[in-house]
Amino acid sequence: MTLAIILVVTAILCSAGIGIGVYRGAAGRESGSTIFPVDLEAFRNLIDPAESEYLRQRLPAREFRRVQRKRLQAAAAYVQTVGQNANLLVRMGQSAMNTADPAANAAAQQMVDEALQLRTNVLWATLRIRIAWVWPTSGLAATPIADSYNRLSTSAMLLGRLQTPATAVRIAIPR
Amino acid sequence: MALLQAHSPLWHYLWVAPNVLLLLLAGMLLRRGSYGQYPAFLVFTIVGGSAELVAYSADLAPGVTAEAWWRLLIMALLIEALLKFAVLGEIFNRTFHVYESLVRVAKIAVRILGALLLFAAAIAAAYAPPDGRFGIIARAHLLQQTTYVVETGMLLFVFAFAAYFHIRLKRCFFGIALGLSISSCVHLAVWALIANGGLSNPVRERLEFLNMGAYHVAVLVWMYYLLVPPTIEQGGEPLRPPDGNVSGWNRELERLIKQ
Repeated sequence: MTLAIILVVTAILCSAGIGIGVYRGAAGRESGSTIFPVDLEAFRNLIDPAESEYLRQRLPAREFRRVQRKRLQAAAAYVQTVGQNANLLVRMGQSAMNTADPAANAAAQQMVDEALQLRTNVLWATLRIRIAWVWPTSGLAATPIADSYNRLSTSAMLLGRLQTPATAVRIAIPR
Repeated sequence: MALLQAHSPLWHYLWVAPNVLLLLLAGMLLRRGSYGQYPAFLVFTIVGGSAELVAYSADLAPGVTAEAWWRLLIMALLIEALLKFAVLGEIFNRTFHVYESLVRVAKIAVRILGALLLFAAAIAAAYAPPDGRFGIIARAHLLQQTTYVVETGMLLFVFAFAAYFHIRLKRCFFGIALGLSISSCVHLAVWALIANGGLSNPVRERLEFLNMGAYHVAVLVWMYYLLVPPTIEQGGEPLRPPDGNVSGWNRELERLIKQ
């Protein structure tokens, strides 16, 4: 009977999970439609190993851990925002993929691909940041996030120009 | 409660109607020629519906022995299970493999998950308590349980993966996956109770009605999503970046320039 209960509970949890998945994503219901600008340079600075090394040499070990954790918290907030932007760009790209214009279609396909790549990177980067928060003296390399975000920004601008020629779309703040 | 017994009018209806509807759905899809995107699902509707109707006819035929019927059912279950996994593969390929950046991660994730689910299903089958009924009946119940453990896990993964990446499933695949999910979650719970719960025959029979009802609902979901055209709202205008965002970025840029 224990096995039966385990499997019944599993079935109930799976149906709840599927229900949430249906509601949140697969059916196309999303919340929020605002792209938040992300300061790439500030983010790069936060995840720069040279900066971390500089701080490590200048600060006492305890102080370095405290500062490093604050930097990681800030980096996590950036990554979360980047992930939210990627979600919105996936939606925008998917809706643009249904248009008759082949150029807009191709740009949309490229943007969705890059946004999905970014979403994958966000997953790994978040994991690494969480680990690094527990162990601040470990190295943190989330640079691929910054690079792919830059590429995504270019794709979003291209799609924006194709859809609304008068308006350029920018999701990263250039310096 | 006479209706909730084997060979009651409701029992006949719930066994026959969903499968007749499934064959009707197959006929309509063939007539419309709109099955090109989901050939595995079309085969599933034809073979699955026909196999269930053959099992129903064999159940009523006086010349078919109980053992022969259970053997027939096990064969039908095996074929149906293979077809369902083909349908799941179809949903997965058509939804996620169109995006180059997801192909690799999706393949790795499916392989790992498939192995884990098979392992979990094998463990659950190995630890199932011995059934006092004929061995062949217990085997059929365990086969159902094993199939639904893997199927439910895979469906959960499809929806979770799509939700994480904010990928919208095409209407037809969304409908197919939703119908399969309704059926597989209920069937998993019911077959787990039947195979492991040590329940009395009347309780088992009532639980089988739940299975049949869930399958009927699943068939209706498939009919709705594959035959009823989407409304304009569902088709949707392409999303455009809102103007407010652009001015927001400009404000942000000005702020940075003045820093």
